[in-house]
Amino acid sequence: MSEHEYTSMNEQLDWKKAKAIVAGVDIGAVSSKAVILLDGQPYAVSHVTMRTPKESAFKAINAALAKTDLTLEKIQYIVGTGRGRTQVPFARKTITEIACGAAGAVHIWGPSVRTVLDAGGQSCKVIHCTEKGRVTAFLWNDKCAAGIGRSMEAFADLVKKDVTEIGGIALQSDKFPKLSDFCTVYAQSEALDLIRSKVPLEEVIVGYHYAMAKRISTLVGRAGMKKDFVIIGGLTKNPGIINYLESNLKVSRLAPKPEWDPALIVALGAALFADKWRAL
Amino acid sequence: MNNGKILAGLDAGHVNSKAIIMRGQEILGYGNVPTGFDVVAGAETALKNALENAGVARGELAGIVATGIFRDMIKVPPLNVRRTVPDYVADAKGALFLNKNSRTVIDIGGNIHKAVHYDQNGNLLDVIQNDKCADGLGIFYTTMAKTLGVSEQELSELALQSTKHVSVAIHCAASAESEAIDLMCQGVDIADVTDAISRFIAERVAAMCTTMPLEKEIVVAGGLAKSKALMKHLPGLLKQDVSVLNLPEYVGAVGAAMSYEGGK
Amino acid sequence: MTKKGSDTIIERFRSITENPQEYAKSLQGKGHLLAGYMCTHVPEEILYAAGIVPVRILSSHVSQAMTRSYIHETYCSFSHDCAYQGLAHHYDFLDLIVTSSSCIHMGEAFNVWVRFAGFQGKSFLIPYPHIIETKPAATFMVESFGEFKRFLETFVKKSITEDDLERAIKVYNHTRRLLKRLWEILKRENPPITGPEVATVTLASQMMDKQECNSLIEQLIQRLEAQPGKGPSGVRLMVTGGACDDLGMFDLIEHLNDNASLIFIDSCTATRYFWFEVPEGRPDKLQAIAEGYISRIPCPAKDNVPGTGEKKRFRFIQQFIEEFKPDGVVFLYQRFCSPQPMDVVALKPTLDKLGIPSTELELDTTLPITQFRTQLEALVEIIKGVTP
Repeated sequence: MSEHEYTSMNEQLDWKKAKAIVAGVDIGAVSSKAVILLDGQPYAVSHVTMRTPKESAFKAINAALAKTDLTLEKIQYIVGTGRGRTQVPFARKTITEIACGAAGAVHIWGPSVRTVLDAGGQSCKVIHCTEKGRVTAFLWNDKCAAGIGRSMEAFADLVKKDVTEIGGIALQSDKFPKLSDFCTVYAQSEALDLIRSKVPLEEVIVGYHYAMAKRISTLVGRAGMKKDFVIIGGLTKNPGIINYLESNLKVSRLAPKPEWDPALIVALGAALFADKWRAL
Repeated sequence: MNNGKILAGLDAGHVNSKAIIMRGQEILGYGNVPTGFDVVAGAETALKNALENAGVARGELAGIVATGIFRDMIKVPPLNVRRTVPDYVADAKGALFLNKNSRTVIDIGGNIHKAVHYDQNGNLLDVIQNDKCADGLGIFYTTMAKTLGVSEQELSELALQSTKHVSVAIHCAASAESEAIDLMCQGVDIADVTDAISRFIAERVAAMCTTMPLEKEIVVAGGLAKSKALMKHLPGLLKQDVSVLNLPEYVGAVGAAMSYEGGK
Repeated sequence: MTKKGSDTIIERFRSITENPQEYAKSLQGKGHLLAGYMCTHVPEEILYAAGIVPVRILSSHVSQAMTRSYIHETYCSFSHDCAYQGLAHHYDFLDLIVTSSSCIHMGEAFNVWVRFAGFQGKSFLIPYPHIIETKPAATFMVESFGEFKRFLETFVKKSITEDDLERAIKVYNHTRRLLKRLWEILKRENPPITGPEVATVTLASQMMDKQECNSLIEQLIQRLEAQPGKGPSGVRLMVTGGACDDLGMFDLIEHLNDNASLIFIDSCTATRYFWFEVPEGRPDKLQAIAEGYISRIPCPAKDNVPGTGEKKRFRFIQQFIEEFKPDGVVFLYQRFCSPQPMDVVALKPTLDKLGIPSTELELDTTLPITQFRTQLEALVEIIKGVTP
């Protein structure tokens, strides 16, 4: 498995004693995740990367199963979500990552959640939901804000740092240059120009985070904010983005739950739907 | 004019730093490293690698000329750059050296791409650079390879196997990437997606060249010139033959070294 | 037999949208003069009265970057595509191109054809007011149309009579009434034709000789009347926005996870094209045409009711919502269009008050299918109240 991949399982649970065995798979183009639930409890999870969505789907579910002796056939209901969800042959039903994001968020943080920001590599969505996790509205980023997450990684590569590292660096300075907060291509080019003009790299990193956070907060502002506010998706691992996002929005998110990787929450939502539909 | 002297040309680019060691008309060695955090350190490492590659000791160098977007930042010790020249001046001289019949070089870099028109002596006649929305094509190529879990070489090889024509959005690298991902999620064959990526880059480069007449022979420089998939599409879009220079990513460094005496 | 019949006619319309140059050349083969138009504010009746068939220039959907040397990057894809087709000589066979001054992006595409694609001397730009809901606007339009008429008379070397104009008005009104009838079929719960099919017919009509078009639509309606429904409507979705000639987009709406139906499209490539009439039997034909075009559902680029800041288009949209009863609304507009998303900002609160959920899709030369599918399916999930 590559450095960003992992699996884990809960050895205390025994699938042979479970009544409901279900799974949710969240298939993206860059990475895929799987969550297996036994009677509503998380049993095994995985986060994998693979070239195509179909290969990714199999890799994700098999990786989750790998440390168990549970087999794919014994899983009673599998729900597929994510942009590659039409490419999951073993999913009984599919549902959007919008619905799953809300479902997973309310399950983890409770019925006070009303606004979910799913800040991923390729897209950002703002989701409004009820106390039961039913989606009432959502806003998908416009094209000019696509790939903010990916651009953080590209930028990290350029300055030869890890994404988590540059997020930390972004917290270290109050002084930073202004970069385009409308377009990631312009922001990246401007960052490179600033480095050329001998602006300290740390300040450029902060400025880049500020600009990207501002871009995301514009989206949230357009969608409207209702507390309680939570953030899921890969960008939650970047403390710089989170910091500037909260300060721009003047709202704090609910604290992340350490037992849940924010990138897995959509897959969890899918598994929760699988649990519900299995019983119907 | 540089006969006998061992000279180094440094091209401190946005993404990569290149160094070349020359003696007269002879290329002795070269080195290419990511520019990264510390621009000076990047140039230093490139130079060190080039010297090792050439089997030349630092002390044997008569001088260093720098070009590239960070050329002014690397003038400090220990590099002690003797002279700097703008990218397009270096490109013209370097391209002419590597191909005596060339009169136009299209340099596709990590962040910027440009086309330079020069005469038989390497004197600058015209230059054009991409508009801002088309920034970052090289970075885009590298990012897409990573996203798809392949090497840049593999990306090109896959693209050459494409059997179906699909397109990505053409506005900019961000929108192209977003749609390449979408195509993958639709289940489109990776060969076709990589071909669309290559075609996107070729389209942007060709679009830049629309407003500057290209005089033959036209050569292509920069890291992306090594992508066979990209070179497959470019001639058709330019409606002209092109050839890839030898050592395409070192064109600027060569041109810098050749600018040691200034003037010629 | 009849079911196959209506599908054959729809196929004919679809084939015209896929091969517009072929169809246009066939008209030329029959001896017609052709004028390409880039904006529906062009008073087609005047062209038709001069014996010229107006054919709308729509997208080729080719992903290209060459037009960036002519038009700025941040102009809409539709304008880039139209400009490209001129530069690529797809329409060299046209006798004339015409546009009315409307939005900047389409204006520049037109200029590209005139300056760089060989249409100097074969073009006409009709000055058209932006603030239409005023008395001076009508007078302005009549004068402007008068100049256009005189230009055409010189162009075809023949005078355009009042009878010619009245005949053209009647033919065009007939098209408008037929198209309206087709769209109104979609009000039904189980119609014999789908939204995408009606959109196809409407799109084709913009590039066709209207007399031929009318005859085909009449046959189509006749056959539809004897046909059973294509199935229950499912979730009813209405599209509103700017020019969209990508029929794949409409097919996508009807091929989601859940059963959804496209029941109305408010755009200039759909209902805004024809949802009005030019008064018939008037002594001053140009005045009548001006009156008719003033009464159109406005394009957001020309929707300013002076003194009130009101949007006339929104009155129509509310009326369509009442009549066609959508469960959800899809805002569909070109990326980089300015007027369309500004309307969305003003319109959304109205939809929120009516309790109608919506989503926004940005059009481009290429479409991100999985993203759009996700947004549309999420909209349906909201409408159906999907709860974990």
